[in-house]
Amino acid sequence: MKEQYKLLLPSLTITASIVAFPTIFLLYVSLHQWVLFVQEVKFIWLGNYGSVITSRDFLQSIRVTAIFVTSSTVLSLFFGLVLALILNENLKGKGVFRALFTLPAIIPPVVAGFAWKFLLNREVGFVGGYIFPLLGYKGSILGNPRLALLSVIMVDVWSRMPLMFLILLAGLQAIQPDVYEAAEIDGANYWKALWHITLPAIRSAIIIALIIRFIDAFNLFETIFVMTSGGPGIATQTFPLFGWKIGFQYFNLGEAAALAVIMLLVTIFISQLLIRRMRQ
Amino acid sequence: MRASIYTRSALAKAIMYFILVVFLVFFLFPIIWLLVSSLKTHYQTLIIPPKLLFSPSLEAYKKIITGGMLKSFKNSILIAVIDIILALVLSITAAYSLARFKSKFNENIGFWFLSLRMAPAFGVIVPIYIVIRNLRLLDTTFAVNVAHLLINLPFAIWLLKGYFEELPLEIEESALIDGANRLQTLVRVVLPTSMPMVISVAILTFMFSWNEFLFAFVLTSNRGVTVPVLVASLAGTMTFDWPLMCAVSIGAMVPAFVFVFLVQRYIVRGLTLGAIK
Repeated sequence: MKEQYKLLLPSLTITASIVAFPTIFLLYVSLHQWVLFVQEVKFIWLGNYGSVITSRDFLQSIRVTAIFVTSSTVLSLFFGLVLALILNENLKGKGVFRALFTLPAIIPPVVAGFAWKFLLNREVGFVGGYIFPLLGYKGSILGNPRLALLSVIMVDVWSRMPLMFLILLAGLQAIQPDVYEAAEIDGANYWKALWHITLPAIRSAIIIALIIRFIDAFNLFETIFVMTSGGPGIATQTFPLFGWKIGFQYFNLGEAAALAVIMLLVTIFISQLLIRRMRQ
Repeated sequence: MRASIYTRSALAKAIMYFILVVFLVFFLFPIIWLLVSSLKTHYQTLIIPPKLLFSPSLEAYKKIITGGMLKSFKNSILIAVIDIILALVLSITAAYSLARFKSKFNENIGFWFLSLRMAPAFGVIVPIYIVIRNLRLLDTTFAVNVAHLLINLPFAIWLLKGYFEELPLEIEESALIDGANRLQTLVRVVLPTSMPMVISVAILTFMFSWNEFLFAFVLTSNRGVTVPVLVASLAGTMTFDWPLMCAVSIGAMVPAFVFVFLVQRYIVRGLTLGAIK
């Protein structure tokens, strides 16, 4: 007994404090009027939560976040599934495709954002300055509210679809071939087998991918920050960008903390819902 | 082929290759374009339509050195290496303890681990920023290290704990009977068999640290700047030195390339680990 604590104590104490501290301190800050460069810190109950929810940007952020998270999640999951299904087939060169498809997932998100910002640039970008004008659109892509939102969704799909593909492929490879035998005897075609056998077999992989993707898209900051900083105006201002503005441009740490707590609660709630579905 | 019993027609195969190639272009074009543009001169990047044939120049890469930007590469490497060492030492011991000595506390700690992963980064940075500021440690690599460890450590422990729990107990028990203590057992018996997993966790830790932007951005301003912060600040300035920005981006991608071509096995394992567990 004594010996086990010798091993346990140092790393566990460090870890426990390191992990518990930010969450507890975040809650604490969120209940205080806490503005950088202002000496006085005052306890104000849920005042920060009130001012965040009633602020003008809040509704717009809900709308943008909902559109961004939903489309990015659905698209990357769908295309990730398509790629996983194809690369689970007996195709020549699939190893090379797999390796190259992994690449965007491990590139720094800041670089992903910059690479596309460069491509979409109206003056020098290959897409924004050459392809789009050839197709008849000469305006600025990231300067147009709708196109800017579409662009950040596309870039997020670009950088996160590979991870979905890897998770789903791992799920597909775990399926035992004999589950298909009955279908073969029944003469079911590919699409029927896909719908009735393959997809149910990787249900938990799909839900896990969905949870990871949701949390990831909901909290995404870097790529949007580099590409548009939430603009033009507040057209691409998702919650993290909004929180960033409150906390580190207006220096209102209390309100930023409140928004972070709200987001954390939403995340926990939605992931719990999904986890329940998985266990059913 | 395991999961498919159907033989595919030539047409089906052609369609599949077509889809693969479309995605390959989508995935690789931005990367190739960065690489090509990093070898151009400033004037060449401004030409539309872009010239495919040009004499490559290493001017942009020279500018990284002469412009004093190597410093942020040094910072990034230093932070990542320290982060890997600390995260591994702490997480291996902690995860092993959690896996072998069960208690109520152990079960509850899992929730904290996940709550940090689920919290928005701008929220996690608020408490860290306040503390680092009060300690007067802003703009040091140490500050970034603490922040990265904070995110990496719980995740590493969570992954390793799950792995250790599934290792068979027999070998460890015989080592213990032979008079080895727990620490010796961990180092000599458990670790050697866990190397692939430890390497995956190390790579995951490195990747997080190397790619992370927000913490480094808030906590540093000049001396402690990391590569992603450098990329973002170059991309945000109005002096659009495109080749230089592309060259720095390519530099930032080097670990990604190395991982994909040398240790792909571990990276796929690492990326899907959190999911499959």
